[in-house]
Amino acid sequence: MKLIKSIVRPNKVDEVREALEKLGIGGVTVTEVRGHGKQKGHTAVYRGKEYNVNLLPKMEVEVVVDDNIADDAIKAIIQAARTGEIGDGRVFVLPVLQSYRIRTGELAV
Amino acid sequence: MSDAHAGPFTDMNGSATPPPAQALESAREELRDATTRGLGGRAALGRYAARVDALLRQLFEAAPAPAQPVAAIALGGYGRRQLCLWSDIDLLILFEGPIGAADERFLRGFLTPLWDLGVVVGQQVRELADFSTVESDNPEFLLALVDARPVAGDRTLFERFTVTFHQPATHAHIVSSLGTLIDARHARFNDTLYQLEPDVKEAPGALRDLTAARTIASMSDPTLLTRGPVDAARLEEAEDYLLRIRSMLHLISGRNQNVLSHELQEKIAEPLGYAGAQPQQQVERMMSDYFRHARTANRLLQWVRDSAPTPVGTNLGLFGRGVRFINPIKAARRPDSWLRLFAAAVEHQCDVLEDALTVIRQNVSRFAAEDFFPTPESRDELLRFLKPRAGLYARLSEMHDCGLLGQMFPEFQAISWRVVRDFYHKYTVDEHTLLTIRNLERLASACPPSREPFGSLVEDLEKPELLVLSLLFHDVGKWKDEDHATESVRMADHMMTRLHMPAESRELVEFLIRNHLQMSRVAFQRDTEDPEIVKNFAALVGIEERLKLLCLMTVADIEAVSPETLTPWKEELLWRLYVDTYNHLTLSYADELIGRHQAGLSDLLSSRPADIPEPEITQFLEGLPRRYLQLASPEAIYAHVRLSQNIAKDDVHIRLERKESAWELTVVTLDKPFLFSNICGVLSSFGMDILRGHAMTTPKGLVLDIVQFIDEERFLELNVGAGERFSEVLGDVVSGRADVTERLRRREQSVLHKATPRFPAVVRFDNQSSRRYTILEINADDALGLLYRISRLISHQGCDVDLVLISTEGKKAIDVFHITKGGAKLTESTQHALRADLQRMLGGSDEANQEYRPAEQSR
Repeated sequence: MKLIKSIVRPNKVDEVREALEKLGIGGVTVTEVRGHGKQKGHTAVYRGKEYNVNLLPKMEVEVVVDDNIADDAIKAIIQAARTGEIGDGRVFVLPVLQSYRIRTGELAV
Repeated sequence: MSDAHAGPFTDMNGSATPPPAQALESAREELRDATTRGLGGRAALGRYAARVDALLRQLFEAAPAPAQPVAAIALGGYGRRQLCLWSDIDLLILFEGPIGAADERFLRGFLTPLWDLGVVVGQQVRELADFSTVESDNPEFLLALVDARPVAGDRTLFERFTVTFHQPATHAHIVSSLGTLIDARHARFNDTLYQLEPDVKEAPGALRDLTAARTIASMSDPTLLTRGPVDAARLEEAEDYLLRIRSMLHLISGRNQNVLSHELQEKIAEPLGYAGAQPQQQVERMMSDYFRHARTANRLLQWVRDSAPTPVGTNLGLFGRGVRFINPIKAARRPDSWLRLFAAAVEHQCDVLEDALTVIRQNVSRFAAEDFFPTPESRDELLRFLKPRAGLYARLSEMHDCGLLGQMFPEFQAISWRVVRDFYHKYTVDEHTLLTIRNLERLASACPPSREPFGSLVEDLEKPELLVLSLLFHDVGKWKDEDHATESVRMADHMMTRLHMPAESRELVEFLIRNHLQMSRVAFQRDTEDPEIVKNFAALVGIEERLKLLCLMTVADIEAVSPETLTPWKEELLWRLYVDTYNHLTLSYADELIGRHQAGLSDLLSSRPADIPEPEITQFLEGLPRRYLQLASPEAIYAHVRLSQNIAKDDVHIRLERKESAWELTVVTLDKPFLFSNICGVLSSFGMDILRGHAMTTPKGLVLDIVQFIDEERFLELNVGAGERFSEVLGDVVSGRADVTERLRRREQSVLHKATPRFPAVVRFDNQSSRRYTILEINADDALGLLYRISRLISHQGCDVDLVLISTEGKKAIDVFHITKGGAKLTESTQHALRADLQRMLGGSDEANQEYRPAEQSR
């Protein structure tokens, strides 16, 4: 099993979720996050006053998928979240050792 | 006595009346007689007052005619018909307007005979306008006015005085200052009524206490006198007793003597009917009665003072922690007065008491929506009530709870307790709606530091009440399951028709309701880093005011979904979209000019009034920024076109218009040096505080400046021909016939030297945002003449000011200038020099002020 953790533009979340649903991946965790990557914020001006915007609002989308569809899922996410501009985000893939269903306590496979 | 009054008088019917001296003596004789028989109480004093009235009417009619309506009005004890033998006669001589020579002749003719008769007259001469403000430094006079009673002259004038004088604020002031007077008076008697030689007028428990109790009750709650510890019969008995003693004191002493001394006690006890073998026994019995009645008066006053509400409106009193109707029966019949109950509670930051809500609850269904706002004044009151401020949500909730809100707005009733199930909303639709108003109220009055950016937008709004109205109606369409925004607009339209709202306001409310979900859609579901997305959103809102309103509406709406919905993350996305859009609207608008095929132009042309030919409109609009079409209503545009008709080189066409609390100046002229600074300078020289505005110049040199300002000194309102005078000066200055510097000097000296900046001024140049212009943004403490000084410095650097946006946010001035020099953007060195000039001036130092003064003089 893999945990796929994607940092995407806020407006791309719905497209990412739709793409994952098409692959039959239903369970998704979405979190509002802030951060910066290469796109290190910028200087904004409001009413003549300049200020730095360092941490940008992004969305984090997490899914746990079977190893055999991990590559498809990653591709789908990248395709859905891409605009081609700086600030499109990142996808991280982590191994999952075990997963339990809290309601029953059973080990989910 | 003057000869004129020595002979027999003739009344209006031609029958002879006795001469004044004889009339007065005969009246006094009657009172003396009653007093001697121990009957100098209320009835005898009333008869005496009536005979003095007749005498005054006689003198009033005999006096030379005044040039205007005048009334003689009895005040104080005389007004209450409790005139004792040697009491002063307190009179108000009220004229309708300013007093001239004929009126002075009347006064002399009326008063001199009275003085000749040896009567002590306490006269106050006033004109009606004097009562439009409370004479707060003269509480005794205000109290005397409470008992005002017309005696002679113009009855209508007296009635006008009554309406002007009897205002809730005046009543509240009188009750409060009367309390102070009572405390001071009692202190003079060591706060005890048990005086061995009491003053029957002034002492605790004496006549003044009875009058005070009556006054406080009449000014706050008349039912207090019947609900208190003393019944009406005992109150009258006590008053009559005290008056009989006072009459006797006047009779025996032969003067205005009110102290019941040991010597006088012995003299009056027997005539007052006290039996006893020894004078001492008679006196003891009399004093025992005196103390009994004084105690009655004292207890009554104490009760009234403890129980009286503060008057906070007609038939409205503030009782401890809340407001209620003083007379619920009267209130039940007047639905148009109910909103004032809630307005008073907001103003005094308190609740509406349950019994008042019950009155409304029990009667509300008898009335239709129109009954609550029958007059333009009542409709204005509603809009004033809806201004976002602390307490508004709580009062609206009370209004909803007692059925008033739903009856006033049947459209709102449609969503009462309405349940719409979705993933997000936690409350019924009506409560969600009221919570949006609470959220806005908090941004306006108790904004947490993290939301300060949004809070600051509220301060800047021109008509925040329209935002509250829009919030109140934004979800009413949810009574249906379909597209609720469209249905809400339809329903709001009914309401706005009922309220006779002006087209401009209606359009704004409709815009906000129709688009209330748009900003969150763009912020959360679109790529706001894409300039096209921002540009499209800016096109939707058009001008900053609408952007601010929509932004606040969005924040208030999201927060009312559930306590968790508006996260700091969402706030940040909204704020970023707001800033990007604001910058687009204020910095890039110069590049978007009105073209021949501009959207909306055909409607403007086809609905034009007959006196304006089509080419005049298209020529006028050519080269103006597109935002102008969103800024100005069609009517305003036609008015501007008319101002531009046949304009020649030195012409200055001006329109001055009242806009609720502000004024709007529109100037159309052809561009000339120092034009903008001259306009600002003239406004400042009249003490006008510039609030917001737009200055626009077309490439052909036609200038359209629209400036809203506050006339704090009410120059335009109070002075006849002030508007013409102002226009004349403006015309002279703009066309170069007069210099504004001289006019401004005195005003500026007083203002400049006390100016200490509250926060550092911001001066920023931007050569990127506009294709044609250098943009200069200035953010500084607002001050009289600020715009004049800024624009003067810009012109002194040889720069042309083509476009200006003026706004204020609280005490902060936010101005954006689009400037060029020699037709091009400013070079680095010009920017540097201008920045230095501006920063010196904005620093408020004397050096800076001296810096720009000689330059002006050299012009």
